[in-house]
Parts: sequence; structure tokens; C-alpha cells
Amino acid sequence: MVDIVPLSSYPSYIDLLPSIQTCNITNLPENYFLKYYLYHALTWPQLSFVAIVRPRNGYKHGSGNGLAGVGAAGDVSGQYPKVVGYVLAKMEEEPTDGKQHGHITSLSVMRTHRRLGIAERLMRMSQRAMAESHRANFVSLHVRMSNTAALRLYRDTLGFEVEKVESGYYADGEDAYAMHLKLDHMWLDWKAIEKKDRENNKEEGDEDADEGEEVGDLGKKDMDKQIRVKVGRGLGVGELVEKNEARS
Amino acid sequence: MPQPLPSKDQSLFRQVVRHFEMKQYKKGIKTADQVLRKNPTHGDTQAMKALNMSQIGQSEEAFALAKEALRNDMKSHITWHVYGLLYRQEKNYEEAIKAYRFALRLEPESQPIQRDLALLQMQMRDYQGYIQSRSSMLQARPGIRSNWTALAIAHHLAGDLAEAEKVLTTYEETLKGATPPVADMENSEAVLYKNTIIAETGNIERALEHLEATGYRCTDPLAVLEMKADYLLRLDRKADAEAAYTALLERNPDNSIYYNGLILAKSIPENDHKALKALYDEWVEKFPRCDAARRIPLDFLEGEDFKQAADAYLERMLKKRVPSLFVNVKHLYVNPAKRDTVQALVEEKISSQQSNGSAEANGDNNEYLSCIYYFLAQHYNYHLSRNLPKAMENVEKAIELLPKAVEYQMTKARIWKHYGNPIKAAEEMEKARLLDEKDRHGNTKAAKYVLRNNENEKGLELMSKFTRNETVGGTLGDLHEMQCTWFLTEDAEAFLRQKKIGLALKRFHSVYNIFETWAEDQFDFHSFSLRKGMIRAYVDMVRWEDRLREHPFYTRIAIGAVKTYLLLHDQPDLAYGPIPGGPDGLNSTDENERKKALKKAKKEQQRLEKIESDKREARKAAAANAKSVDGETKKEDADPLGNALVQTQDPLQDAMKFLTPLLECTPKNIEGQCLGFEVYSRRNKHLLAVKCLAAAHAIDPSNPTLHLQLLRFRKTLDGLSEPLPEQVAEAVNAEFDKLLPKSQNLEEWNESYLSSNKGSATHVQAALSARQVLKAESKSQCEKELLATLDLPEITINEATVAFDLLNEWGSDKTAYAEKASKKWPESSVFDLN
Repeated sequence: MVDIVPLSSYPSYIDLLPSIQTCNITNLPENYFLKYYLYHALTWPQLSFVAIVRPRNGYKHGSGNGLAGVGAAGDVSGQYPKVVGYVLAKMEEEPTDGKQHGHITSLSVMRTHRRLGIAERLMRMSQRAMAESHRANFVSLHVRMSNTAALRLYRDTLGFEVEKVESGYYADGEDAYAMHLKLDHMWLDWKAIEKKDRENNKEEGDEDADEGEEVGDLGKKDMDKQIRVKVGRGLGVGELVEKNEARS
Repeated sequence: MPQPLPSKDQSLFRQVVRHFEMKQYKKGIKTADQVLRKNPTHGDTQAMKALNMSQIGQSEEAFALAKEALRNDMKSHITWHVYGLLYRQEKNYEEAIKAYRFALRLEPESQPIQRDLALLQMQMRDYQGYIQSRSSMLQARPGIRSNWTALAIAHHLAGDLAEAEKVLTTYEETLKGATPPVADMENSEAVLYKNTIIAETGNIERALEHLEATGYRCTDPLAVLEMKADYLLRLDRKADAEAAYTALLERNPDNSIYYNGLILAKSIPENDHKALKALYDEWVEKFPRCDAARRIPLDFLEGEDFKQAADAYLERMLKKRVPSLFVNVKHLYVNPAKRDTVQALVEEKISSQQSNGSAEANGDNNEYLSCIYYFLAQHYNYHLSRNLPKAMENVEKAIELLPKAVEYQMTKARIWKHYGNPIKAAEEMEKARLLDEKDRHGNTKAAKYVLRNNENEKGLELMSKFTRNETVGGTLGDLHEMQCTWFLTEDAEAFLRQKKIGLALKRFHSVYNIFETWAEDQFDFHSFSLRKGMIRAYVDMVRWEDRLREHPFYTRIAIGAVKTYLLLHDQPDLAYGPIPGGPDGLNSTDENERKKALKKAKKEQQRLEKIESDKREARKAAAANAKSVDGETKKEDADPLGNALVQTQDPLQDAMKFLTPLLECTPKNIEGQCLGFEVYSRRNKHLLAVKCLAAAHAIDPSNPTLHLQLLRFRKTLDGLSEPLPEQVAEAVNAEFDKLLPKSQNLEEWNESYLSSNKGSATHVQAALSARQVLKAESKSQCEKELLATLDLPEITINEATVAFDLLNEWGSDKTAYAEKASKKWPESSVFDLN
């Protein structure tokens, strides 16, 4: 029995990172340092998910009644579940068209656990989080042209479209399809949330809270800028952003 | 006080700093040299030069220069700061902190120094120091939100939940009601972080209240929903909890935790299988493609209900040709009745197919049939339902129908593995790999299987098909760089089996170092995450790093490494390479024979070293021609064979590096405790040894390894040449008497252990070894009884191979055992004597 759980949101299964890395290097030619996984998990904690085979006797029950604390702290010690798949995802940091969008860095399911719908569920969870948390307009990914099973999943099951062919994308010279899928239909109703904000503020006797979205977006951009300047010191996380076996 | 420079040099000095910041280290050094030509003892310039040097791999020279800089100018915060930075690079965090503190004393207002100090305090988990640093950073810049959050984290991790919450609230109050926009993720995360802190205080009521007030505008709706559902259930607000878990399942029906929550919320009793099944059926209807809702009921259903549900499940999955069907049901086999039902159901499908006549032997039906055969092959290969001839028969049939199916061929290899024939297993796995050479999974398995057959070079060669192989270190270097722990671990274990101690240690240390790297990896996030504002994930990461070595990957290499060091300690000659044991080799009573064997081993070692250094030269030459791609020259491994590790003066001391975290992080691992005993008792640390015994005893009092160790420890205590210091003796005896009372007649104790565990080969093995410790002359009787364990109905081939090794330890002849075992497992290769 396979469970799909978040990697680093709530509850956090970040303990599984070494197992996820092993799952990746077992199955795929594109590999990354653990730090690169950490970078994903800690920059976009909502977007990555893990497929685990739950321990034989179910999950350890924490203190308290009933389900309380079950995996709540992500404490899997002493009963590490088996990782049979994962999706590692991010938001594009410098979208060329200025449109927020997500990107699938890596997706893999162990050969022993194929055809159970795991990859599809992982993708759907990540896609929804991109839309709900980051207002992603769409999600993009690359896939080897020879990988028919993956193509079937992306195109037929999930509805991705081929955007273009990137020739020689992979280290071994193979071409990639660059694919994408629109996500804006999954956006939350932020207008309604802002309306609730205003109502709440009125109750508290405040006047104006109508600046909402735009300030937020600007604020975010500033944050990004700040990061780029500061990361340069020493061994910044930024340095490893695109450093992986396949493409360097 | 920094030494003054002439104004022209002063501006050059500023250039040095700028070059460093722009990462133009070589230019930085050049410019520094310009300044130093006229001001040869200018400490700050020397320090900055050193800092630049340290970035281009000249760390030793950098350190020397930084020290000189410090001597020339003890009163400069720059010289101290750089000194600290260099220590930090060397990972000598204690010294780095000291240096930063000096620097800060000289320049109390310096934000960079304060920040560098704070980062290290966090890395070192010096929470009190971190609180101090963060407080002063907040005072300097209270306008920046992350300074508040950081202080809250400091208090939180230090265990002061109330203060952590207070800091977060104080910041919120400075906003004076101006709610940050909905899209402000930093705000959203800070709010949720505060909520988790409230929940950690145990006041779930308040946590829920806070979540209800703020959760609707948070940017992580899934997390909000998870937290809410959890709180509601803990507060026993069942109707609301039901709604929350329903909402979670609507999002993700593939998570058994949600179903459990829903069932608790609906107060369905655990034994009301009908109601439970109905609940899962509802979700099957809602999400027909979801596996969980179909599969979970098989866990609780019994008897006829189980049979029906299992049949429907199996039939559906077989019809859909799902290759992972077996791995998804095998967990049911802990219940023998369910195991037998599944077996009967699937066997029946075969016979009904056959009675339908083979007329409809078309392609589609063949696929269906092959799926059934494949299922049965895995079924009979599984340890709870093992029947290897049947497994082989079924897998052959499956392969006949679909010869190109990679899984089938892999299963065939696995069957050979369980037959105790790693040679055939590796051969068959290679065939599986060749069926789809572009599939890395097949490559991984093929490499693993040759390693299990102790073919290290072949394993590496297979791995090279998926690595770049361009750097100095070649394939092995790539695997290190990509932190391929599974390969390094398997490689190490294969070397250990061959008693190639140096190489085994080399690989175990490699994995150890990867864990060090992972611990170091968190460093950058101490600042990065504060900027990003993803605080919950960061705090989870910090806590995970604290228990990093609980991961089974660490446990495994630590156990392997400690075993290796113990072997090296017991047989120091192994430092010169594997030496054949037995009467003609290491165990020879004839001193001349022994020396001969040793000499041969040394010669072999020299030969290998020569080969390795030739290879290195060749690679160097090639690299010089090719000019490495990324421009950075990788450091060459000066000791690829691990000779430096193996020539240690004190293997037991070295073992502590692995053992200490093992005992600390996984105290419940009985093998770790038993190994702890072996190391401590050899080091004459009696109190620590008995502590390990007590810990092992608490886990499993009848553990075979422990049994023998208890006896050996009793004998050790009885035979001490020099009595232990009184206090130690008292403590040791008090503790040990609880495990094996001094008044106990040891022979009776051992024989009673033997008779109450006579069905288990491992227990019998331990008791027989124990008997020889008590009575050396019982050896031939023990050999006879060990041979008889091969007739035990439950004995596994793995247990038999352990016994095979045991005969070596006893110094016994293995022929009889080998013959009998080979007859019992005719397909095996592990009992071949040559």
C-alpha cells in the first residue's frame, strides 16, 4: 500500500531525503546532490511529494489520543518507510515572460511499483499546490522523446501539451520535449479571501486594506532581488541551483 | 586598531575586498600583493589575501598567512574575522566561533561579523549564544521581519515556546492592524509557524482558534487543512473532523492516514468490518482509479469476506496487467490464512484458464496468463510463502509467454539469489539489464547483483554506463560526487566479505563523509531560509539534521565499518591484504607457513598499489590533455586503496568514530549494541561493555549473539588478571548480575538455552559456540550438532551460511557440512569449498 505525502510541508517527511535521493539515482540518469533536494524542499515546501510504502503495522501512534501526532512531526525514526517514488518541483525563478509558473525538476517511481497511479497522483498534488500556493499560470517539464510511458502520463492522462523540442537537452545527447499544462483554473478565489480580510478588518474597526495583490507581488520581487545579491558570499545555495550531473 | 595605509594603497585594499566579493580571487591576490610590496606587514591586507587564497584551493598557505596577519595586527577585527572564516572552512567551528568573538569585541557594531557568528552558533546548536546574537541583530535592525522570526526560532529551538510566540506576536503588533497582503508568503509562513508553536505547547484549543482566524488566507491550503483535521480530532470535535478528513481525501484519496482519521471521526469501531468496508467503497465510487480504497479493506477483512474482496481485487489488477500487484498484496501474508487464500485464488485462475482450453491462445490472453505466472513466481519467491522450484517453474512460463518483460527476468535473478547462488543470480540479472539497456533501474540491479557476488570491478564498470566518467576520479569519483550511497555501501560490504580491509574501510568512510556533507549542507540554509521565509520547513530541516544518522543508510555502514575494524584488530595481518585462513594460511600453527602466507599477501598488496598508481598517472596525463570541463581541478585521492586507513595503530579507537553515533542515534538496534560490546570489551571498558549488554538484553533477552556475549563477559570478569578498580567493579557487577547472575551454573544455563531454542538454527549455533567456550573438548560433539541443524525444518540458507563461517572460527573441517548443505540446497553455490 502506497501513501502519497508531502515532502516538507505539514506533516514533514524531510527525513526521507536520503531515500529519495537513492530512489532517483536508482532509476534515472539525472542526479543531484542532497543539497539540491534540500534547496527545493526549503524554497518551495508545498510543491514536492513522496510516495511511501507504509510500515507493516501502520504508522506509529504518537502520544495523545487516536490519531494525534501520527506522522505529525514527520518523525519516522525507527520505522523508516520505503520510498517508492517522488516528485521534486519548483517555481521558475526568472520566468522569461514574467508569468509565474512551476517546473517539474524530477519525477520517478520505482519499477516495482509501476502502474498503480502513483506518478499521476504525485503530479496532481504538485500541480494543485503550484496553483494554490504560488499562483502558477502553468507547469512545465522536460521529457525524453524516447520515454513513451512518461509521455503517455503527461499527455494523455494529465493533459500536457508539447511546447517545443529541445535538441540535445540531455547529457547523452537525446532530445527533450518541453511540455506544459495550464493551471490557472485551479487558482483559489483570492478576491473572496480579500473580501473576508476587509470584513474582518472592519470588525476590528480598521479602514483600509485594499492594496492586496499588487503590493504582494512587488514585495516578492524585491525579496528575490535581495536574495540574488546576498547569496554570492562563499558557498551560497544559489551556486548549486543548476548544477547537476545531467546538464553541467 | 588597523594599521593605516597611504591613501593609494588604501584604495587598492578596498579593491581587494571588492575582488573577493565578486569572486575574482586571483585578481584579489594580485592586488593584495601590490599593497604588500610597500607594506609587507599590513595585517588586514595579508588577511584578505589569505581569504582570497582559501577560495582557490590554497587553504594551507592561506592559513599560514592568516596567522601571520594576526601576529602583525592583533587589534584588527578583519584579521580575526578572516581567521574565523578560515577555521569555519576547515569545519573547526569551535575555533571559528572564538575568532569571531574576538573580532566582534573589536568591532561590536559590525553586522557581517555578528551574522557569521550567529550562523555558526546555529550550526553548532549553541542556542543560548544564538539567542544573544539574534537579539542584538534585531536591536540593530528591528525593521526587518526576518530578524524577528530568527529570534523566535532561536527561542523555539532552545525550548522556550512562550518566548518564541511572544516575539512573533510582538512583530505582528508593530504592523498595527495593517494586514500584509494575501500573496505575502513570508507572512503566511510566519503565521503558520506561530500556529505550530502554539500546538507544540499542547494547547490545541488555542491552536485551532488561531488557525481558524488566520488559516483562510494562508498560502499553503493543504497544510492548513491537515493541521485543522489533526487538531479537530485531538479535540474530539468529531463532526468537524469528519468534514476536514473528507476534504483531505477529496484532495488526495491515496493516503491511508486520512482514512484512519475519517474512521476515528466517524467513531466506526475497529471490528465493524462491514461499516469500514462500506466507507472505503464510497471512496472507490468517488475515485474509481484510486488504489488505496480498494486495497486497504484487504487488511482488515477476514474469512469469506476477505476471499471475495481479494478475488475482486486480484482479478481487476490482473486484468489491468498491473505488474506491481504482488508487492502491493504481499504485506497481507503475515496472516497465514490470507496468504493461503491468495495463493489458492491465483492458482485457481491458472487452472480455470487451462480447463477453458488453450484454443484462445491469442496475444491478449497470453499477456493475462503471463501476469498470473509472474504473480505466482513472486509469491513462491517471497519469504513467507517460499517454494523456490515452484517459483522457478512459474517464472519460466511467464518468460516463455513474454520473453521481453524485464520484470520477469529480474524475478528469475531474485529466485537464484534465494537459492543461494549469487553467481547465477548475477548472470540472470545481467540478462534482465540487456533487455532494456537504457533503463537505469535494470543497470542498478545488475550492478548490485555482481557486487553481491563480490565482483567489485564489474560492478563499477556497469555503473559507468550512467556516469560521466570525465573527471580525474573516473566513475568512482562521479559516484562519490553524486552521493551514491547504495553503491558505496554494497561495494564496501563486498570488499569486507573478501577481507579486503583497506578498500572496505575506504568505502565505509566515504559514506560516513557523505553524511558529514549532509550535516554541513544545512549551513547555508541558516541564512537562506530566513530570506526565503519558509520557516516551518527550515525548522523541520534543523530537527531532521539533529537526527540525521538515525537513517538506516548510516546504521548499515556503521555496523559494517565497526565489524571491519574488529576484524582488523583480531587479525592484524589482514592489513596486508586478504590471507587465506585455514590450516595452510593465517591460522596455521606452523610459523613458517604463516609467514609465507603473509609475505605473499604483502607482495600482492604492492602489486595492486603499482597498478593503482599507474592508473592515476594515466588519468593525470589524460586530464592534462582534456582540460577538465568545468575548469575546476578535482583533488586527486592520494590513497585509493585505503592503505592509510588499514595501517592504523588503533583500529578500535578508529571504530569509535562510527560506533558512537550508531549507539547514540539508534540505541534500539540490537546489532549495534552487540557490536558496541565487542569494541568496549576489547578496549577493557567494562562498564560501557556491560551497558551495551544491558541495552541489548532490554531489546531481546534471548538474542543469540547476546547469549554468547553474556557468557564471554562472565568468563572475562572471572578471569581478570588484575581486579577492576573497586567502584567500577561494583557498578559492573551490579549491572551484570541482573543479566547473568554470578551464582548461575553456566553449563546448565547454556544447555537450557539450547533446549528451549532447539528449533532455531541461529540460537543453536550460539549455544554450541558457548559450549566450546565452557568446555573446549566438546568441539567434535558441537560439530556433530551443528551438522544436525541442517535437518531443522525451519533452517534457512542464510542461517546455514552463517554456520559455515562459524566452522572457520572453530577451526573445524567444513567438508561434511558443505556436502550436506549442498545436498539440501542443490542449486546453491555458497557451500562450494573452492
